[in-house]
Amino acid sequence: MELTDLYRDVILDHNRRPRNFGTLEQANALAEGFNPLCGDRLTVRLNLADDRIENIRFEGQGCAISTASASLMTEAVKGKTRGEALALFDRVHRLLTDDAADAEDLGKLAALSGVREYPARVKCASLCWHTLASALKSPDAHAVPAVSTE
Amino acid sequence: MISRREFMVGLGAAVDFMQSLDRDAVHAHEQELLEHATDALSAIEGLRVIGTAPDKASLISFVVEGVHPHDLGTILDGDGIAIRTGHHCAMPVMDFFEVPATARASFALYNTFDEIDRLAASIGRARALIA
Repeated sequence: MELTDLYRDVILDHNRRPRNFGTLEQANALAEGFNPLCGDRLTVRLNLADDRIENIRFEGQGCAISTASASLMTEAVKGKTRGEALALFDRVHRLLTDDAADAEDLGKLAALSGVREYPARVKCASLCWHTLASALKSPDAHAVPAVSTE
Repeated sequence: MISRREFMVGLGAAVDFMQSLDRDAVHAHEQELLEHATDALSAIEGLRVIGTAPDKASLISFVVEGVHPHDLGTILDGDGIAIRTGHHCAMPVMDFFEVPATARASFALYNTFDEIDRLAASIGRARALIA
């Protein structure tokens, strides 16, 4: 296992220059995620219109894997419906944990497949997705409990 | 499962080993390692040592600009170097130093100066890759 399988160019690029990073004015859904064992934390803010993710931004601090995963996630789900985004969450979760997972048509998200060779890092990559799922499943933006991966 | 008897035998061997050591010599060696490591790590651009109390034990907590401690841990592991990363169950201290987490290398009687040079080189490579 080479480190470059984990730290692929796409991951390094999205860590150095995270997309959709920062707060989102007029967000109508949000969730916060924590990984208390490692100290990663992030907030995902969404602007949902007619069940569709019109806009999404994230902020927080974490390692290269968690930052890149969140950045790639925001690019991937923008414009998708709630159901489509949750289905994508399931696929990415399989990608991170199942050697037999299929990365076809996942686009840039396929770069996250290297993470599954590093079990200790899977939570780094999945925290933002769990946080997004929490925000999408809760009808009331301000009642969403913080997500923890521990 | 380790039986109680196995545990006692192992503990006995550990105590015998510890008692066979010249504790002053061990302390002196560990402090020399610490001094060498402090010099080697401080020379790395973007590296900040966290915790500089006098007479501290032989370990260094540090952060590297642009490289999260967990990425450092994974990359150093690939080079055969084990460090601890995270907030070390000490979140108030992390808040005090205004860092989300640190990397921590600790040194013991069996470590060598050469290993510390390898540690420094590996941190340099991690910085070149991630930052």
